Amino acid sequence: MNSHKLEYTRQEMMAIATGRELRDGELAIFGVGLSMLAGYFAQAHHAPNIRAMTEGGVYGASPVGGLPWGIECNRISANATSFTNGVDALGFLVASGRCDVGIIGAAQVDKFGNVNTTGIWDGEIGDHYRAPKTRLTGAGGANDIACGAGRVLIMVAHEPKRFAEKVTYISSPGYLDGGNTRERYGFIGGGPSAIITTLGILRPDPNTKEFQLDAYYPFSNIEEIKSNTNWALKVSPRVHVVPEPTVDELKALRKVDETGALRKQ
Amino acid sequence: MPQPKLISLATAVDRFTQNGVQYASGAALPIGSDAIVFGRELLRQGRNQLHAIFHCNSQQLNLLAGAGAVDKAECGFSGLEVFGFANGLRRSIETGVTQLEDYSNLAMAIRLLGGAMNWPFVPATVNIGSDIQYRSAFSPEEYPSTSKIPMITDPFSGRQLGAFQSLQPEVAAIHVSMADPLGNAIMLGTEWSRFELSRAAKKVILVADEIVHTDCMRQFPNLVRIPDIVVDAIVYWPFAAWPQSSPGLYDVDEDHMRSMNKALATEETTQQYLKDYVFSYQSHRDYLDMIGNEKREKITQTETSFLMDPYRKWILSADEIAKLVLEGDR
Repeated sequence: MNSHKLEYTRQEMMAIATGRELRDGELAIFGVGLSMLAGYFAQAHHAPNIRAMTEGGVYGASPVGGLPWGIECNRISANATSFTNGVDALGFLVASGRCDVGIIGAAQVDKFGNVNTTGIWDGEIGDHYRAPKTRLTGAGGANDIACGAGRVLIMVAHEPKRFAEKVTYISSPGYLDGGNTRERYGFIGGGPSAIITTLGILRPDPNTKEFQLDAYYPFSNIEEIKSNTNWALKVSPRVHVVPEPTVDELKALRKVDETGALRKQ
Repeated sequence: MPQPKLISLATAVDRFTQNGVQYASGAALPIGSDAIVFGRELLRQGRNQLHAIFHCNSQQLNLLAGAGAVDKAECGFSGLEVFGFANGLRRSIETGVTQLEDYSNLAMAIRLLGGAMNWPFVPATVNIGSDIQYRSAFSPEEYPSTSKIPMITDPFSGRQLGAFQSLQPEVAAIHVSMADPLGNAIMLGTEWSRFELSRAAKKVILVADEIVHTDCMRQFPNLVRIPDIVVDAIVYWPFAAWPQSSPGLYDVDEDHMRSMNKALATEETTQQYLKDYVFSYQSHRDYLDMIGNEKREKITQTETSFLMDPYRKWILSADEIAKLVLEGDR
């Protein structure tokens, strides 16, 4: 990144690109880790009136002392205006259809935006369920957000093992088998609107719902992204370069990311 | 008139649990509130073959599963958030010791809500269409599963919904910031599903960081989300959620979160952890010494401590509490 005048990491670019997707005044729910940083960055920068919450029902808060260790961390509980509970946040405000946008992470994502956070198996699971070779974190609230939020932003490190033609296990639904298959289940939420990675931004084709490359970063390129994606990634005719983070954006992000969690990689 | 229900931790585990018990903990948050010390005591008394119902994994489930004491578990989230994967739980799942039935976080909460209402099931449109619905660790041969989250038809609109089986755990240990001797409790921070769990479980034991006078509850009755009438016993145990956090009282112990999870990664180091941090203390005083003075000072300097300010004048002294526990244990 030495050729650029601004110094920033890929993770910071990903967080800023995600934050740019959030609009002022929206009701938004943030997951743990990077997604929380991206969300509160947007609040600190261009969306001061965003109505942010975590799935524990922590309202009116912004992190103090660095990246919160979790959605219930004291770092996010030190200046809240309301504490409620899971049924309230994930049920009354997300499953009901009130929530405009949610941000979730992924261990593995496929071309229809389905997310696996449950486990890594050696090959297919088969007809008889068996424990994964490597157990991951499970769905948590991401499944509920994927079903109920108006739109969903998926943040994921862009590595071939994470970008599968089809995920082994769907923990949180994207567009399932593509096309209109999501409609079969009557989800109130609209599905993922973008997969934002450490290399670029993928968006779904309006008809097939297959994710294609929409934009890359000043430090990445189309070939690099294709070679890090384990399906034949289509490139949008409108593909473009994402504008670099501005000085103000970086300042806002680093204020939220006080301990520099995003600068380490 | 309601009577004081304070008893010792050892008595609570002895009186309310047995091998194979369906055990729920609250809040079952991965870094925040959880009745972690109750899980340590379950191991100290040799309880095993547990059926664990945890809204989310916590260091307690991580420890119980890592020690091989959990046959079945039901969870919405099975990690430790920013602290990473839960090594004890994942090892017990990967080696087949624990069968983990996966749900989402909303699903676990509404299953407890259903239990509280004494409904057989609760309808919702989460988890359907994903492998949470199609795959069952409890009935692995059934694929796609039609018994875990069966589809039902809304009799009014004809819409298809998932049916979630209600939960009524045999016993629940619920961590709260403060309780009075009768069992009225105030929780600081997110409740997660403690409100629902306190009504769903057949037996409820509160594990409180502080014991306050009942006058405190009369001052803030709107904040008493767990009233004494649903509570069977109260255990007083400062730093009950350690190494996790308790809003208003102490922060997460970052060093121990990491070292504990690292220890739980192998059977050998788990045995060492049990020796050092589970079987090592004989009293609450010993337990505090085990955490260490310096560490306790550090984690109690929390940005959230002002949340406790309105309640401090009602906190009972250790002597007053000890007297009540003596009576309760008789």
